Amino acid sequence: MMSMLTTSAVFAQDDVGLTAKQVVEKFQSELIAVMKDGKKLGYAGRYEKLSEPISNSHDLTKIARIVVGKEWEKLSEDQQQKLTDIFIRLSISSYAHNFKDYSGESFGFDSEEETTRGGVVVHTHLVIPNDKPVKFDYMLKEKGNSWRIINIIANGVSDLALKRSEYTTILQREGFEVLMTKINEKIDSYSKL
Amino acid sequence: MPIKMPINVNSSINIRLKVISVSLVMAVALAACATTTGVEHATNKDDPYENVNRAMYHFNDKLDDYLAAPVSKVYNKVTPQFARTGVFNFFSNLKNINVIVNDALQAKFMQGARDSGRFLLNSTLGLGGFVDVATDTGLDLNVEDFDQTLAVWGVPAGSYLVLPIIGPSTMRGIPGAAFDVAANPSTYLGVPIQLVSLLNTRATAEGSLKFIDEASLDPYVFTRESFLQWRNNLATDGKSESSMDFGDDLDELNSGTKQSGAKIEPAPQDISKTKHKLELLAPLQ
Repeated sequence: MMSMLTTSAVFAQDDVGLTAKQVVEKFQSELIAVMKDGKKLGYAGRYEKLSEPISNSHDLTKIARIVVGKEWEKLSEDQQQKLTDIFIRLSISSYAHNFKDYSGESFGFDSEEETTRGGVVVHTHLVIPNDKPVKFDYMLKEKGNSWRIINIIANGVSDLALKRSEYTTILQREGFEVLMTKINEKIDSYSKL
Repeated sequence: MPIKMPINVNSSINIRLKVISVSLVMAVALAACATTTGVEHATNKDDPYENVNRAMYHFNDKLDDYLAAPVSKVYNKVTPQFARTGVFNFFSNLKNINVIVNDALQAKFMQGARDSGRFLLNSTLGLGGFVDVATDTGLDLNVEDFDQTLAVWGVPAGSYLVLPIIGPSTMRGIPGAAFDVAANPSTYLGVPIQLVSLLNTRATAEGSLKFIDEASLDPYVFTRESFLQWRNNLATDGKSESSMDFGDDLDELNSGTKQSGAKIEPAPQDISKTKHKLELLAPLQ
């Protein structure tokens, strides 16, 4: 335990050298810290505070590519860049919106397992007072020297698969511009709610 | 990523599953109708009847906006929270009979014993089921139904279907639901009691429906995807969840090949022993 704390302290600025489990636990503790100050910080404050922890622990660029599936290849370079940028903003804004206050929640570690493709799944749960705990499973992949979250499975529902279905459907049915508009509207409503 | 996603989404998706009654005849009729239309614009292999399903989704949505939501709003105003929780517990307890039957059909005998204990405890000390005393003693609510039993028996889910009033289902879900309705004692309590169950279920799901609006870019796809994943998760008792690797997609993107589709990759071994059950219709704030 002590050695883990030391490691976390040494690499406080980024997540280089942390194990997959440590990346998840560091991110969860940063999230809880923001939730505790959530009301005081307001949406803009939470967005700012979460921006770095999310970017350091998630591979948002890769996630943005996966959620559009094979549609990615059909996008121009400019569109790919736009999509990546807006997706990063949406991800942070979604956290800032959904984790807005604190009522005694805490994360607990359950187990971790390696996948055959060199990924790691970290099984955790969120304890919510007077409610059933929610299982959070994080799928991580190695990026350079650090482990990054590429998917979160909450009580068996994969965030990546959910988004992938939505994004590819919108791209196929309505096109790139509509997808951009819808994401922008979502970010806008998150900032107001 | 949203904090409330799993509970809220799943309970809302389930609300219409809970209200199955006379609509089954209509449902079968629609399924028959769906087999002849909508195929040409299919974009998802699980949802070949997307166009028909979308139309039905919007019909259900409007029905909810103009009928269920306003009535439920009044119900929420005139009944205190403890009454709604009590009513929820009552119907949830009756449903345990069906859970126990399906435990047996899936050869889950230990779980069946626990679920029987849960039913007996809540029916007696829990004042006929209105108070959920069993959960406090560690006998959690398990979710088992005939659709899961069919899955365990090897019946494939078949195409995704949105049924009138009932909402999300699959081809397999139709016989599954018919069995569950027949095995639920509340079916035989008469229409007024059914209406109370329906109303309370809708009222309990208020927060989850709001969540779908908030979190989704395309509410239809969001609902379909959460529903299919949730049902799959239930049918496999949570064992399929960590296999969503998306590795193939990454390889595909890196190499630029044309292969597509995330394949489900079996985990090398099942390290996670923790089975979990999604809660149905968790009382929402």
